Amino acid sequence: MKIIVAIKQVPERDAMVRITPDAKGLEERDLQYAMNEPDAYALEEALQLKEKSGGEVVVISAGPERVGSTIREALAKGADRAIHVVCDNLAARDALGVARLLAAAIKPESPDLILTGLQSEDLGLGQTGVIVAELLNLPHASLILQVEVTGSEIKAKRELEEGWFQSVELAAPAVLTIQSGGNKLRYATLMGIKRAKTKEVRTVNASELAADAASVVTLDSITLPKKQKSTQMLSGSAKEAAAALVEKLKFEARVL
Amino acid sequence: MYRELIGAMTLALPILAEPRHFSILEKLLFVALAALSVYGFWSRFGVVLKKILQSKKDADFHLFPIGRRAWDFFWEVMCQAKVIRQRPLPGLAHAFVFWAFCAFALVTLNHCATGLGVGFLSPDSVAGRIYFYFAALFAIACAVGIAGLFIRRFLVRPKWLGEKLSWESGFIALLIFALMATYLAAFFVADASHMARVLWWAHTITLLAFLPLIPHTKHLHLVLSPATVFLSRGSFGRIPPLHGDEDFGLVTGKDLTQLVSLQAYSCVECGRCTEHCPASNTGKTLNPREIVLGVRGYLNEFGPASEEPLLGKYNSQRAVFECTTCGACEFQCPVGIEHVPILVGLRRGAVNTGAWEDQHGAKLFLALERGSNALGIASTERDKFVEKNALPLFDGTQEYCLWLGCMGGYDPKGREIILSLVKVMQHLGATFGVLRKEKCTGDPVRRLGNDLLFQQLAESNLETLTQSKTKKIISICPHCVRTIQEDWKEYGTPPPVEHHSEFLARHIDRLPQAGTGVPHVPRTWGPGNAQTTQAAKEKIVFHDPCYLGRYRNVYDEPRAVASLAGEPVEAPRNRERSFCCGAGGGLAFLGEETGERVSHVRAEELAATGATIVGAACPFCNTMFRDALAARGEGAPQLLDIAQLAARNLPQNNVN
Amino acid sequence: MSVLVVLEERGGKVSRTSWEAAAAALRLAPAQEITAVVVGARTEPLAAEAAAKVFGKVVRVEHPLLAHYTSDGYCAALHQLIQKESPTQVVFPHTYQVRDYAPALACRSGQTLIGDVIEIGDGPVFTRQLMQGRLNGSYRHAGAGPCFLSVQAGAFRADLPDAAAATPIETFSPSIDAAQIRTKPGEPFRGSAQTVDLGSAQLIVSVGRGIREAENISLVQDLATALGAELAASRPICDNGWLPMERQVGSSGQSVAPKLYLAVGISGAIQHLVGMKGSQCIVAINKDPDAPIFEVADYGIVGDLFEVVPALTEAVKAAKQ
Repeated sequence: MKIIVAIKQVPERDAMVRITPDAKGLEERDLQYAMNEPDAYALEEALQLKEKSGGEVVVISAGPERVGSTIREALAKGADRAIHVVCDNLAARDALGVARLLAAAIKPESPDLILTGLQSEDLGLGQTGVIVAELLNLPHASLILQVEVTGSEIKAKRELEEGWFQSVELAAPAVLTIQSGGNKLRYATLMGIKRAKTKEVRTVNASELAADAASVVTLDSITLPKKQKSTQMLSGSAKEAAAALVEKLKFEARVL
Repeated sequence: MYRELIGAMTLALPILAEPRHFSILEKLLFVALAALSVYGFWSRFGVVLKKILQSKKDADFHLFPIGRRAWDFFWEVMCQAKVIRQRPLPGLAHAFVFWAFCAFALVTLNHCATGLGVGFLSPDSVAGRIYFYFAALFAIACAVGIAGLFIRRFLVRPKWLGEKLSWESGFIALLIFALMATYLAAFFVADASHMARVLWWAHTITLLAFLPLIPHTKHLHLVLSPATVFLSRGSFGRIPPLHGDEDFGLVTGKDLTQLVSLQAYSCVECGRCTEHCPASNTGKTLNPREIVLGVRGYLNEFGPASEEPLLGKYNSQRAVFECTTCGACEFQCPVGIEHVPILVGLRRGAVNTGAWEDQHGAKLFLALERGSNALGIASTERDKFVEKNALPLFDGTQEYCLWLGCMGGYDPKGREIILSLVKVMQHLGATFGVLRKEKCTGDPVRRLGNDLLFQQLAESNLETLTQSKTKKIISICPHCVRTIQEDWKEYGTPPPVEHHSEFLARHIDRLPQAGTGVPHVPRTWGPGNAQTTQAAKEKIVFHDPCYLGRYRNVYDEPRAVASLAGEPVEAPRNRERSFCCGAGGGLAFLGEETGERVSHVRAEELAATGATIVGAACPFCNTMFRDALAARGEGAPQLLDIAQLAARNLPQNNVN
Repeated sequence: MSVLVVLEERGGKVSRTSWEAAAAALRLAPAQEITAVVVGARTEPLAAEAAAKVFGKVVRVEHPLLAHYTSDGYCAALHQLIQKESPTQVVFPHTYQVRDYAPALACRSGQTLIGDVIEIGDGPVFTRQLMQGRLNGSYRHAGAGPCFLSVQAGAFRADLPDAAAATPIETFSPSIDAAQIRTKPGEPFRGSAQTVDLGSAQLIVSVGRGIREAENISLVQDLATALGAELAASRPICDNGWLPMERQVGSSGQSVAPKLYLAVGISGAIQHLVGMKGSQCIVAINKDPDAPIFEVADYGIVGDLFEVVPALTEAVKAAKQ
């Protein structure tokens, strides 16, 4: 079974983010990058499927040269080979534009399964996988926690709101977007890194792919949200404080 | 003249009786038996030697500088220092047995030579008399010693020698006793008599029976342990670097090095390591002696070229990951076995190959793969702490770089310790700054055996330090200190680093005593010294952190600082015998312990001293004891780091 | 100018988040230009409920193959509706279901969904969160063709005026072939009820040493029940056996990241913090104003938990009515 896992390199979660003067991007200078965590779960799912029923796991990632380190990490964790879609201006593409790029690179591989993380930690759109499925005319299911494959039948456990789950059945080839937490992630090992050195990474330039970049949605500006996290201490008698808290939870935090 | 005097004196005493003449038959018999004995010895010893020599060479072994090796050999082997100091009475008994063996060297040689008709030391010559009496004194001491050890093992039965009675030990004790007895008895029979011949043959048979037993039992240490002590790695708890692309640690027999194999065969099964192990003392599976014997068992069955996993039949992964790397085992071992590199090596084999599947372990590794600290907290939290407390940033001009570490940067208690130290440093006028960005030194992942992650952390931090032009580091955490100073050496040149207790002790004369505001009068640490009144109200028991005490040999400096705040009391297990708090070896980040909790056992011991304050010098010890002491309720002693003890006596107006 | 709002069903009625999406739509166009859309196999009751509010019209997209949600079904049906209605905007609530099909639907019209919008400004400019809430990004839609957007739950207040006269209802029957539906959804089920799965709990009330005795835990349990939250605890409570080990949150217990984490009588030692710091909203109740837990809390009450907790339970019960 050939599984393609689309992974994204994103700024490290606790990186200090600074907005560029033109308010259109982030200062890249001191940023450190890591693999998008939901993609790590997608990769883990793919590796476990391979361990169970054999096959090949290919990772694909789009972005500039620095994406190579995340690709190597994926190879170190057990992927067999990789495709690097070299694109220096990924941020200029909207979700549809990025999906077109990936779909064009994936198409000639004719995989049985395409896995992506549910969403990225930087933009958080959660659309790439679904659009890729649409572009390649494949069935898809999203928010998947567990996958079972028998032949070309796929059974996936999907997460619903408020603690409900659902089983979805579909036939390969298909696309699944994987939710975090379904599996236990494996850590990168010394042995894995040493083996990764001999694995193939094929580079393909974005310009070589027939993938229209014209953006439908354009970025206007990036700003800091008005409210910063600070502790609001609620005072007064027990009754008053309790009432104030319920009010905050309902309307400000919106968790009730 | 003296010669005559001694000669005259000795003439009055009996001489060692020897048979005068051996027939050809007897000589042939003797030679045949001796040959059999030597063959019996070599048939096993040769195998062991081969296994050791066929093991992988230690890539980082250097024979020179030889001074330290020679000293260790003299002190630990010849003087039996560790044997005696850590278990005095049995140790002394053993020392006599050993010294007797040394003293008997010539006796035995002469004894065998006599059997072949070429005896060289005549019992009635002056030299002969002196020497044989000298040996006789040792023989008496040895006989008494071995009898005492026999009684201890078979009648007293201390727990640490194990449940099963070792019949081979009993038999060997009997043989040794017999050797001494047959020797001493020869002073009381007539020379060249029939009895002398009987005794000679009895002594010979005993000797020839003893020789082949040596390599078949733990008494192999007689031959090996002097070499083991001489050839040891050279510093406490030293983890060797990995060598080459295929080295992942101790995975299979092929990874066992000559040093490890030698050490495995040297184990004397005394159980001193197990006696001091925090895991063994709290009902865990881990038993350091069994780890070493497990390696020996593996070598006996599979050999050094085997691909059979080391963590399988003879040792379990579970036991190996219960180790806090406190080093008490290695510290105690009288024959030079270095347990810490063996345990870490076995862990490396499991982690570097991904064979270790532990959810907490994986969480720790993943947190450090994508973040900066072992706790998985956003690094912005550290930035906020630095900003909120207006800690100066290190800009290359200050004297010290104050290393916060994971605990100092993110743990509420650790932060308190940092702020106390900051107050004291400001009072002392020492300039310092904190780095803008710090990553975990990598101590937990290093001790857990994840070399990939450790290399990444070490290299990243070394880069930061070079760029920031750090000249000296001061840290509140002994784990950070150890890792920076020793373990980072594998990947670069770390700047000098010291623990805050060392810094504070150096300035002790400028730090005020409790309640007086008067600078401390330098005095030696010890009970019974006169104290100023206020300080005497508090009783302080200082807990020696493993990584400050055993690993760094720092015992007095933190005590000097602690004595600023009260009267010192000592825990029963203190200094180099300090009982671990349970956090080391990455265990603070792993899941539930089985059995009793190490931290609770130690907290009990500390509280039982009747102290009002428990003095700590490590943020991990601090966090481990926190809950344990709090569970004792109202009467529990306060838990304070020595930085806090030093800071509490500072004049109040000394703020920033 | 016309705006489609796709309403979703919850327990037989229009969901709250759908009403919020409709409220968002009102920022884009006046009510008369807004068309409410309900999708399913039997949409009459839902349509009637929608018709009670002020809309231009309500469209019932009905087809037997839409009885259960599938991405293929909804995309096919809505795509045909969009082609017929040619709206300028299509608005959705940002639910798991919408995330599953709306991007594909947008793609079919050559568009890109602007998802999880928290603010709509003049332009229109759509604001959404980046870097997990640390930054905001403002976007515009370019070109011809409908603008697809989904709206974050709770970003807009769902107070729509009632219709004075009944809103007209239309029925739209898309043509869908059974062969087009490529996924087979199963019946929804709950996670195992037996074991405590704090990891998936959305609301957690956690109790610490401040509770002093085992009997007092019932106080906190009442609060948890009122909130519909799971009960959890810090290590000492589980060590004492007052609550089972599986309820322990912390470095040696579970790691949780619920929407709401209410820490009662917990000081905030690091071993506990690392287990819950990922929670979206943290509330702390502790009598010690210097307790470290307040450093990570969004809301804090310094007070006696034996007074605050019962008061809070009452307040929560009242609010839920």
